[in-house]
Amino acid sequence: MKVQPREPGGFAPELNELLVRRAQRIRQKPAEAEDENVLWVAEFPVGEETYALPLDTLRGAVPLKMVTPVPLSPPHVIGILRFQGQIVTALSLASLLGGRGWREDPAVLLVVDPGFGRLVALDCERIPKPTGLPQALVAEARARSSGATCEITLAGTRQVSVLDLLRLMDRRGGQEKR
Amino acid sequence: MMDPLLEQLLAGFVDEAQEIYERVARSMMELEKAPAQGASFDELARGLHTLKGSAATLGLEELADFAHRMEDVVLPLRGSSKPLPARLSDAVLKSLDVWMARLRAVAAKSQLPDLAPSMALLETVKPDAPPPAAAKGRKKKNGKGPSASETLAATVARAPEPVSPAAPAPAPVPAPAEDAQADSWRVTTRQVIALLHEVERLREVRLRLEERRREIDKSLQQLDRLGIQAETAEARSVLLGIRRALGADGEEAGDIVASMEDGLKTISTMPVRTVIEPLHRAVRDICKATGKRAKLAVVGAEVSLDRRVLEQLRAPLVHLVRNAVDHGLELPDVREARGKHPEGALAIRVEQQGNMLFIEVSDDGAGLDLEQIREAALRRALVPPEELANLSTQQLHQLIFRPGFSTKAEATEYSGRGVGLDVVRNQIQALQGHVEVQSVPGQSARFVLSLPADLGSSPVLVVRCGEHQLGLPMAAVESSRGARSKDLRVGRARVQLEHREQLIPVQDLGALVGLRQPEVPAEGQPLLILQSQGRTTALSVDEVLGDRELVIRPLPVEIRELSAYQGAATLARGELVLILRPDFIVSSERRADTALASTRRALVVDDSLTARALHRTALETGGYLVHTASNARQALEQLRHSAYDVMVCDIGMDEMDGYELTAAVRQRAETDSMPILLVSARDSENDRQRGLAVGADGFLTKKDCVSGRLLSEVSSVIARRKGAA
Repeated sequence: MKVQPREPGGFAPELNELLVRRAQRIRQKPAEAEDENVLWVAEFPVGEETYALPLDTLRGAVPLKMVTPVPLSPPHVIGILRFQGQIVTALSLASLLGGRGWREDPAVLLVVDPGFGRLVALDCERIPKPTGLPQALVAEARARSSGATCEITLAGTRQVSVLDLLRLMDRRGGQEKR
Repeated sequence: MMDPLLEQLLAGFVDEAQEIYERVARSMMELEKAPAQGASFDELARGLHTLKGSAATLGLEELADFAHRMEDVVLPLRGSSKPLPARLSDAVLKSLDVWMARLRAVAAKSQLPDLAPSMALLETVKPDAPPPAAAKGRKKKNGKGPSASETLAATVARAPEPVSPAAPAPAPVPAPAEDAQADSWRVTTRQVIALLHEVERLREVRLRLEERRREIDKSLQQLDRLGIQAETAEARSVLLGIRRALGADGEEAGDIVASMEDGLKTISTMPVRTVIEPLHRAVRDICKATGKRAKLAVVGAEVSLDRRVLEQLRAPLVHLVRNAVDHGLELPDVREARGKHPEGALAIRVEQQGNMLFIEVSDDGAGLDLEQIREAALRRALVPPEELANLSTQQLHQLIFRPGFSTKAEATEYSGRGVGLDVVRNQIQALQGHVEVQSVPGQSARFVLSLPADLGSSPVLVVRCGEHQLGLPMAAVESSRGARSKDLRVGRARVQLEHREQLIPVQDLGALVGLRQPEVPAEGQPLLILQSQGRTTALSVDEVLGDRELVIRPLPVEIRELSAYQGAATLARGELVLILRPDFIVSSERRADTALASTRRALVVDDSLTARALHRTALETGGYLVHTASNARQALEQLRHSAYDVMVCDIGMDEMDGYELTAAVRQRAETDSMPILLVSARDSENDRQRGLAVGADGFLTKKDCVSGRLLSEVSSVIARRKGAA
C-alpha cells in the first residue's frame, strides 16, 4: 500500500523546511555510532607522562586534603577518605606505577571503580580532562600489553598510557584482596 | 502443602522453642545436683508445659503428646528432697533433643526423626518403672549406654513413622500463634542493615548541624571583632536565634538517633548468652561420656551481638568447649594427684571493646603439650622434620589450627578426627576475626577469639599524636593521668610507670604507629592506662581531645590487615579518625624494641601527603626506616628527640620553607652534620644554589624523584658527608 501525504497539496513552507532539516539530521551518522569508535577517557599527567583512565570508571574528583593518613600502612597508601558514605582508600598512582617522578604535588583524588565491587581513590596532579581515544587503537594496544598500562601513540607522536585499573590493583599482590 | 500463615508462625515457634529448650535443659542439669524443687523445678515444669501447649496450638499433636510424656516423667518428682535421678534426666534430655530435632524437621519440611525410641526410653524412667529390658539390650560391651548423639543419630536415621497416641488435651496456655501474628513481623537482615545505614546518615546530619552552629559562632565573633555593634545588632540577633534553633534541632536529632539506634540494636542483636547457654549441656554430656568433671563459668554473657555473627559463633564455641574438656581437662584422679580440684574449671569470658568482641575460652587442665604437638605434626606430615625442630612455642601452638591436626592417635566420639580447630579458625577468619592461643603446660590453656562487632555506636576516646587524631575504645581505658618523672622508671630499653603499686610498661603512641622514635613522656604529658586481655599498659599521647560516641566501621580491604586498627569513624566535621586496637597496644612492647634496632633512618619533610608517600616508598625499598613530618616545626620537634641518617626535605612549605629548615638544622650541634637532600617541584639553578648555600648536601627535582634516582641521591649525600668528615 502506498502511503499518501495527509495534505495532498503539500506542506506549508515552514513545515516543509522543518521536515527537510529533520531528514538531514537523521541521515547524518548517529552520535552513538560515533561513540562506538571512541573510548572516552579522563586524561591527566603524572610527571612527564600522560595517563588516561576510562571515563566510565570515574566516580568523582575530590580534594586530596580530605584524606586521613593511615600510619603503618603500606607506602603506596596515602590514606582513607569518606566518599558517598563509603570509606575509600586513597592510593598513590605514581607509587603503584613503580615510582614515577612528578611535576606538581598532587592536589586531587580521582575516585574510581576498578570493577571489583568497591571504590578506590588515586592521586592526580591536575583535574583530568575528558577526551576521546580511538577505540581500535586502544583495543590494539591492550592486546599487545600484559601490564597495568597500554601505550597509544596519537597523531603528532603524542603518547597516552591507558590504565587498566584491575591489573594496576593486582600489582599490589598479597597486600590487597578483592 | 502447609498453610503459609502456619508456616510463618512455625518459623517463629522454632526460635521460641529453642529458648525454652535451653532453659529446660539448664534446669534439668541444675536439678541433677540439687533437690527437685524450687525455682529450677518450676522453670522446668513451665517450659515443658509451654512446649506442649504451643505445639498443640500449632496442630503439632505428636510433639504435644511427646512433651506431655516428658511431663509425666518429671512432674511426679516435684518437691522431692533428692536430685533428679541421673537415668531420668539423661532420658529427658535426650528426648528434648529429639523433640527439637523433630520440630526443626517439621519447619524445614525434611525427614522427621522417629519419636518412638524416645517414647520408649521415657517409659523406662517413669517413677516406679522397672529397669527397661530394651535399654539393657542396647548396652555396649563396656557397660556404657548409647550416647546422646548416638540416640539422636539413630532416631534421625530411621524412616518417619506415624505417631499414633492421641495427645491429651493440653492445658490452656498463651497462644503463641495469636501473639506471633499480632506482635511480630518478619523482616530481612538486609532491611535492618539498610535502616542502620540510614541512622548513620542521620547521625552525620546531626554532626553537620553542630558544625553549622560553630560556624555561626565564628561569624558572631567576627562581628564582635568588627566593633560595629549598633549596625549589626539586628543581624546578630537573627544569628543568635538561628544558633539557638540549630542547637535545639541538633539535640532533638541526637535523641532520635539514639532512640532509633537502641531500637535497631534490640532488633538486630541478641545476648551472647543464647549461644553460650547450650554449652552447659555440651559440657555435661562430654563429661558423662569421658568420666571427667567440669564446671563451666561464664562472664559477660549479657553482651549483645549481631544475630548473624552469633549464629556463626555457635559451632566454634562448641568445638572449643568440647576440646577443652576432652583434650585439656584431666580425669578427676589425675587432677587430684596433681594437686588440683577434681572438678575442672572451664571459663568463657565475653568482653566488648568498642566494636571489637573478645571471647576467651579457658580451662585449668594440662595445657598444650608441645611434645605431643610435635609428634602429631610428624605423624600427620604437617611440617617437615627439619622445619619442626626450629619452630618456636608460638609457631608450634599455631599447628593445632592446621587442617587434619589431632594429637589423638584414635578417633573418639569427641575428637581425634582432625576436624575442629581448623574449622574454628576458618569460621572466625570468615568473620574477619582471629584466634590466639596461650598455654601454660600443666596448668591452663586459653583461646581468645577477637572479631569485629560493628553494629551501633560506642564510646571512643580521641587523642592526638603529632598531627594525627586517633581513637581508643573507652572500654579499654581504665583511667588517665599526667606523667610525673618520679613515677617513671626509665631503663635502657624500656620505660615503666609505677601505677597502683605495680610497674607497668609505658608505650609511646607515636612510636607504636611508626611516626617517631620512642620518647620518654615529658612532665605532665597525658598517660592513658589501658587494659586489654588481662594486661595493663600506660600509653603516652600528645593530647587527649575528649570522648565521643562514634560508629566504628571496618577499614577498606586494602588496609584491613593492619593489626593496629579496628576500624574508622567519622568525626563532627566529616573527617575520619582511625580507631586503635587496645590488644595491639598492650602487646606491642617487643615490636617497639625491634623498631629501635633498625639500622638506617630517614626523616622525610614535605607538606604533600602524596609526596611523603612516594619518598617513603622509595626509601623503604632501600631499607630505610622512614619517619615523616608535614612541616618544618614538626621536623625540628622530631630531630630534638631522634637521630636520623638523612633528611629529605621539600623546599616549598608554608610557615618555614626548606631553606629555613636546613639553616635551622645546621645551627644545632646535634644535627649540624646530618646529610640533607632538598627536593623541589621547580627545577631552577637559583634554588639549587640557594639550597647548597644554606647547608644542604644535594638537590633533586620532584620529577626526577623516580625511586632509583632518589635512593642514589640519598646514598651520595650520605657518602659526601662521610667523606667530608
